[in-house]
Amino acid sequence: MSNRFVEAGLTAPVNVTWEVTLACNLRCRHCLSAAGGPAPRELTTREALGLVDELHRMGVFQVNFGGGEPFLRPDFEEVLAACHGRGIVTCISTNGTLLDPARVDRLARSGMVAVQVSLDGARRETCDAIRGEGTYDRALEALGLLAQSPIPTSINAVLTSANAGEIPELHDLATSLGVSLRVSRFRPAGRGAAAWDELRPHASQLLEFSAWLAARGDVRTGDSFFSLTPQERMGLGLNLCGAAKLTCCIGPEGDVYPCAFLQMPEFRAGSVREEPFAGIWAGSGVFRALRGLRIRSCESCHRFDRCHGGCPAVAYHMGRDLGRGDPECLERCVAAVTGADGALEELGP
Amino acid sequence: MRQEAFGLLFYDMRGPRLLFARTGDLLDAGVIARGLPVEQALRARDPASRAAAGGLIRRLVDKGFLREQPVC
Repeated sequence: MSNRFVEAGLTAPVNVTWEVTLACNLRCRHCLSAAGGPAPRELTTREALGLVDELHRMGVFQVNFGGGEPFLRPDFEEVLAACHGRGIVTCISTNGTLLDPARVDRLARSGMVAVQVSLDGARRETCDAIRGEGTYDRALEALGLLAQSPIPTSINAVLTSANAGEIPELHDLATSLGVSLRVSRFRPAGRGAAAWDELRPHASQLLEFSAWLAARGDVRTGDSFFSLTPQERMGLGLNLCGAAKLTCCIGPEGDVYPCAFLQMPEFRAGSVREEPFAGIWAGSGVFRALRGLRIRSCESCHRFDRCHGGCPAVAYHMGRDLGRGDPECLERCVAAVTGADGALEELGP
Repeated sequence: MRQEAFGLLFYDMRGPRLLFARTGDLLDAGVIARGLPVEQALRARDPASRAAAGGLIRRLVDKGFLREQPVC
């Protein structure tokens, strides 16, 4: 029911994904940003703090920080403090390697931050094969520190063909650590494009995961799997793509995109260096096109009301067409396997 | 919480979860942000809209999006 309010257009994003740096001390094979060295002209501290001010003025509720590894940015904690001081809730996606007790203590004091630590397997060899030697142990160390703090913490795992069989085990691991589990979708963006054929989950793995999710209301998926979401989880969130409607992505150099998976020149909506973010949100042609996108090929599907065509980013990466429907939706997974291939509420007066 | 065309959009960081409150022009974000006493905030309203707005406020309190507190 709330979809119609979202589709009618909001005055500001509910949350913004902000990739504050492209610098990363890891080289994960599936990295959507192809992170490594810093981008040539990353936002200065002054520009970053100015952007926080503008997000606050617009009424943005939450900023999800990612990268790269956000803690590699020397002023990152200053940017965080600016958000918290203005009442903006933050979530940090980190590889955990730069967390230490003092830093965790500083983060905990704000009371307004959540942390996701990336871990791509329940077993050391699975995770390290994707994220690099030693990453499993370092992530567990970070999770241990965070679990002792009041910071809401989750393991963030990207579902791949390599770890699909370990997701229940990963859930057990999260439970034993006292943190939650969040599973994200692998998309063929950044370095993920090169690893796509090898790491893309098979249709049968996606179906198995979908069935497993049905019984796991405590596992978060963001909106990653809404095209695969079983009936039992439909009440947990919006069932349409939020890009340019509820959220958008700001890159390290201030470029604005509909989502983190569409950071390509053809989807650049503007730059906060060139114009106010509010103007980009309200007036960008790219955003207007996303808001008006109709996935006609899916409209006759009996599940259309549940997923509205799924993730346009995956459709684009796989077929250079935002409107062709999610190639990995539940219906297509079922068709592939059987061989027939061919948390919101509304309140009124 | 902020004003949108349909009414008020609440963000609850405990979920996080969103509440789309179709309040129309019965309540505005400024009134809630200032934390005015309900009677004062709704004083200028006619009895019918005052009752409707009062009902909405009560439901927002029940859902935990607003907190009732003594004014002195």
